[in-house]
Amino acid sequence: MQTHMSIVDVRNISKRFGDFVAVDKVNFSVEPGRIFGILGPNGAGKTTTIRMMNYITIPDEGDIHINGVKVGRETQPMIGYMPEERGLYKKMKVGEHLIYLAQLKGVPLDKAKTALRYWLERFEAIDWINKEVGELSKGMQQKIQFIATIVHDPSLYIFDEPFSGLDPINSELLKQVILELKASGKTIIFSTHRMEQVEQMCDDIVLYNEGRTILEGKVQDIKRSFGKRTVILEFDGDASFLDTIEGVHFNNRSNRFVEFTPKDESQIRPILEKAMASVDVHRFERVYPSLHEIFIESVKNDRSHVNR
Amino acid sequence: MSTDKIFIVLKREYLTRVRSKAFIISTILAPVFMIMLIGIPVLLSFLDTDKARVIGVYDETGVLLPRLELLSDSLYTELPPAPVDTFRAMVLANRIDGYILLNERHLTENAEVEFISGGTGGLSLISAIRSDLRSVIRDERLNREQVSDAVKDILNSRATIVSRKITETGEETTSTESLFIVGYIMCFIIYGALFFYGAIIMRSVIEEKTSRIIEVITSSVRPFELLMGKVLGVGAVGLTQFTIWAASSAAIMGGAGMYFASQMDTSGLVGDEAMAAAAQSPITMPEIGIGLWVGFVFFFIMGYLIYSSLFAAVGAAADNESDTQQLMLPISMPIIIPILLVGPVASDPNSTLAVVSSLIPFFTPMLMPLRMAMTDVPIWQLGAAVVLMSAAFTGLIWVSARIYRVGILMYGKKASFSEMAKWIRYN
Repeated sequence: MQTHMSIVDVRNISKRFGDFVAVDKVNFSVEPGRIFGILGPNGAGKTTTIRMMNYITIPDEGDIHINGVKVGRETQPMIGYMPEERGLYKKMKVGEHLIYLAQLKGVPLDKAKTALRYWLERFEAIDWINKEVGELSKGMQQKIQFIATIVHDPSLYIFDEPFSGLDPINSELLKQVILELKASGKTIIFSTHRMEQVEQMCDDIVLYNEGRTILEGKVQDIKRSFGKRTVILEFDGDASFLDTIEGVHFNNRSNRFVEFTPKDESQIRPILEKAMASVDVHRFERVYPSLHEIFIESVKNDRSHVNR
Repeated sequence: MSTDKIFIVLKREYLTRVRSKAFIISTILAPVFMIMLIGIPVLLSFLDTDKARVIGVYDETGVLLPRLELLSDSLYTELPPAPVDTFRAMVLANRIDGYILLNERHLTENAEVEFISGGTGGLSLISAIRSDLRSVIRDERLNREQVSDAVKDILNSRATIVSRKITETGEETTSTESLFIVGYIMCFIIYGALFFYGAIIMRSVIEEKTSRIIEVITSSVRPFELLMGKVLGVGAVGLTQFTIWAASSAAIMGGAGMYFASQMDTSGLVGDEAMAAAAQSPITMPEIGIGLWVGFVFFFIMGYLIYSSLFAAVGAAADNESDTQQLMLPISMPIIIPILLVGPVASDPNSTLAVVSSLIPFFTPMLMPLRMAMTDVPIWQLGAAVVLMSAAFTGLIWVSARIYRVGILMYGKKASFSEMAKWIRYN
C-alpha cells in the first residue's frame, strides 16, 4: 500500500481494435479531490481510456485501479459517468428514469428517491418529475442527464466532453456543479478540447496524441516547464501596426489583444517600442504559455517526431 | 452475473411495455386479426357457393341429361337443338356458364367430353362436372348391360374409415384432421409470436443505440445482464399477453356455451336432438390434453429465448432498422424452414424426417407441438429436444451477448458477417 493513494491509477494500458492501436501503453494517476483534464485531438484515445475506466471495454494489456480496486463490476458504482454520446429513454418519466439508473448503480429505492428530489430541486426541475423525458426541451434533458450522472453520489466523476452540445446556460451550470463537487471533496475527470475550460478548472492534465500520453502533470508545473516565453500585449487603437512586424507569429490576435512567442529575447524590445509608438498600451507582460499554445505545440512536435 | 440487475432491467422492460399504448392496441387487435384471418376465407367460401352456375347440356342420347338432372337439378339445363354458334353466343352473353355436348359415342366408345366455358369455371366446377359425368355414364352403361342391382350396390360402395386413438384410459374417437388443425394452429401461433416478440427485442436494442443511452447503461450493468433482462422482460410481456388472450377466449367460449344452452332450452330442444345437432357439426373440437398445453407453452418459451437472442444480436449489429434487412436473412431462414416442413411432418409425424427436424433446436418450437398434437411423441425425444434447445440457447445468448457488447458501442460502423465474427472473438 502506498502512503499516498491515488483514486485512479492507470498502469500501462493498451487497447487495440484489429490493427488499430487506440491506446498504447498509457500511464497516469489521478489524486483525490482534484479536477483532472484528459486532453488531446480527436481520435487520440481519450474516449477509449475513459470507457476502460468505466469497465465498458477492457484493456488488452495493463490494468486500471480505482480506490485501489481493479476496475470491474465493483468499481462501476464508485463512478458517475457522463459519456460523450448521451441519451435517455424518451418514453420514461423523469422520476422513474432517475430511480432506474440509480438502482442499476446499486442505490436502494428510498435513498434514490431522496437523492433525486434533492437534485431535481437543486436544478429547479422538480416540476418535471412526472413528465416523460421526450416531452422535455433539449436543455431540460441535459439537466436530467447531469442528475442521472450524480444521483448515486459517487466519489469519482468522469465526464467525456461534458460541454459539447450544451447551451451556454447549462454549460455554466455544469461548470458550477463541477466546482461544487470539487469543493465537497469529490474527484472529477473530464476530457475536452476546450482549453479555456481546462485553464479555468483543471488542477492536473494529461495530454494524448495518437494513443500515447505526451504530457502529464499539474497545470502549473507544465506551464512553468515551458518558461515565461509568451508575451501578452493589450492595447487601444489601430492594430494594423502588427502587420509591419516580421518574423513573429501572433496567436489569439484580436482588435485589442495579441499573444506571441518571440524566437529570441532581442525581438521583444522592438515590438514594445513599435506598439508604444502606434497605440495606447495597457499591458505588456511576459507570461507562461497558455494551454492552448502548449497543446498545439506539443501535438505538432509529437507528430513531427513520429513522422521522422 | 448479478441477478439483481437483471431483475431491475426486466422490471423496467416489462412495466414500460405493459403500460404502453402499443401493448393495449396489440392485445386487442391481434385476436381481431386472427379472427379475420380465419373468418374471411370461411365467409368468402359461403359467398362463393351461393352463386348459382348453369351448365347447358345438349344431349343426343336422351338418357344422360335426366340422370344429370337427378344429381343436380339446378346446375344442368337442357339446350334446345341449335347450331353450336348459338350455344357459344349464350356463353358469351353470360346466359349459361358453359355447355357440354353429349352423344352416343360417349356411352359406347368412352369418348372425351368437351366442356366449353367462358372461363368462369374454376377447378371445383370442372371436377364436379367430371364426377357427375363419370357416374351417369357408368350407371347408364351398367343399365344397358342389365347388371343386377346387387352388383350396382357393390360398385357404388365406398370404404369408410374412422380413426380411434388408443390411450391409457381407453379409446378416444378423434379425427386426424382436427388434431392436425390443432397442431397447425399452435405451430403458426408460435411462428408468429417468435417473429413478433423477436422484432420487439431487436427494435429495443436499436432504440438504445439511436437514443445514445446505451453507454450510460453499460457503465452500470454488463451487456449480458442487460440483454438477459431485456429478453426476460419482453418474454414476460408476451406471457402476459397470451394469458389475457387465453383467459378472455375461455370467458367468451364459456359465455357463448351458456348462451346457446339457454337458447336451446327455450326452443324446447330435447337432449337427444341437441346431441344429434352437435354430432352434425362438421368439426368437433378435439380434447386438448394437458401434456400438449404444457408442451406448447414450454416450447414457445424456449423458442422465444433462442430467437430473441438472435434478434438482439441483429439489433446490436445494425445501426438503424433499415440496416437489419440484410442481417435478418440468416434468422428468417430457420424460422421459415419448419413452416415448409409442416406438410411432411403432419402426413407422417413419426417418420425419420419428422423426428430429426423436430429435434433441431431452431425448428423444435414449431414442429414439436405439431407432432405432440398428432401423435404420442416418445419421452426420449422430448428430453432430447429440451437438452438440445437448452444447449442452443446457452450458446446463442453467449455469442449474442458478445456481438451485442461490441456492436452496441459501434456507431455508424456497418456490420458485415465477418465483422461480427471478429466481435465474437474480441475481449
